[in-house]
Amino acid sequence: MSPHLRRRAPLWSLIGVIVLALTQGGIARGNTDGMTFIPAGVYAPLFTGPEDPDEIPVPSFFIDTQPVTNGDFLAFVQANPKWRRSQVSPIFADESYLKHWAGDLELGPLAPANSPIVHVSWFTARAYARWLGKRLPTTAEWERTAAVGYDGPDGKNDAVLNGDIYRWFASPTKATIPSATNARPNYLGVKGLFGYIWEWVSDFSTSMVTGESRGDSGLERDLFCSAGSVGAKETNDYAAFMRMALRSSLKANNNTSSLGFRCARDSEL
Amino acid sequence: MKSIRFLSFITSLMAVSIAWAEPAKEELDACCQAEVESAPFTQLSLYQLDTSYTSDAGKTVRLGDFRGQPVVLTMFFASCGYACPLLVSDVTKIKESLPAEIRDDVALVLVSFDVERDTPEALHQYKTERGLDDHWTLLHGNDDAVSELAALLGVKYKRENNGMYSHSNLITILNSEGEIAHQRAGLKGGLEETARAIVGVVNQE
Repeated sequence: MSPHLRRRAPLWSLIGVIVLALTQGGIARGNTDGMTFIPAGVYAPLFTGPEDPDEIPVPSFFIDTQPVTNGDFLAFVQANPKWRRSQVSPIFADESYLKHWAGDLELGPLAPANSPIVHVSWFTARAYARWLGKRLPTTAEWERTAAVGYDGPDGKNDAVLNGDIYRWFASPTKATIPSATNARPNYLGVKGLFGYIWEWVSDFSTSMVTGESRGDSGLERDLFCSAGSVGAKETNDYAAFMRMALRSSLKANNNTSSLGFRCARDSEL
Repeated sequence: MKSIRFLSFITSLMAVSIAWAEPAKEELDACCQAEVESAPFTQLSLYQLDTSYTSDAGKTVRLGDFRGQPVVLTMFFASCGYACPLLVSDVTKIKESLPAEIRDDVALVLVSFDVERDTPEALHQYKTERGLDDHWTLLHGNDDAVSELAALLGVKYKRENNGMYSHSNLITILNSEGEIAHQRAGLKGGLEETARAIVGVVNQE
């Protein structure tokens, strides 16, 4: 070894330590691996009051490129026993939580590791996101991400994309959900926003309270068939109404066979 | 010279990396500490949430602090001109209709939707103006705390463009373990039934 190299050795080991520290810090806090940057945009709510603006600005953020998978979720319950099927509190997840898994820590044939996770509640999805230092996307963020087409920013008039969405609506939920890895990315580069699962959002509970609804919010049954699109502005955006109707019918501890999630995080880390 | 500059670059990188790693660790601790502390609560207890609020008296409060007594829990906001005053007066009526011997054992808790305006000071002022006595605790929480509690109670709410909130009108009775014993939905009737539910909770113990 040359004297020159020996003199440099401590410096290189220092760099090694720093790289390690950076990546460790990154994993805990600033990691955006597997996420897609969504530039600032707007969200057009389906229902607005007379004084409300038609569009709400959505600041830039990161969103998971694909839905969270069974394999991802397995790592979470392995690290957090409280959220295992056998141990979770029923107020956070009802009895159908992870019921397609073969066991507490075993995926089994109905839950391929690469397929989107389903049978998770809002509380469990939120706990998973927090575990990674992330959060659930808001309705505005999710809809802003899904409002684009395959090849352009206007999803509503993308006939191919809408055809794919309606075909999915028309087909029954598959017993085993396929992996979204090979899904066609949308204009923003995000995959699997439809065609696989429905997804939780952080503010799902705001979906059905509109305008002056000051009584108890018991509108759910009426709107689950998307009858809510009557009288709204964008009646051609059937997909968004379906999503809204689903959100409004959910309770935070529900787990359904077609409902999963993906995580988001602020763009300023 | 060059290497000195490089070293200072490295040092600043380290500082940045530490700054990144540190808060993350705190977050993790907070998450896992909650799990440990929630262990003694029952499976159906809302007190499993370790979220902290600030009371109208400026104290840090967790819902679990009310363990051991029945709780009348209502979500509201102070600048609400219609439903919330009715909810507050309904809670007062419920309390007054209770048998004298248990009346003072019940905690009356209001949690505000309005995370911006309903600061602990604003809640204190509201409490004074409404003449609410020491059996009442008014709580301020962050967005996360409010959405989490609303989700557990089944309260739907939405901030409107004018800064007001649309929300379900729900009065919830918790037993001494923090489990939901009864809920009164809407603004009409159901007060006697709610009072009976509180008596039932007390008698169970």
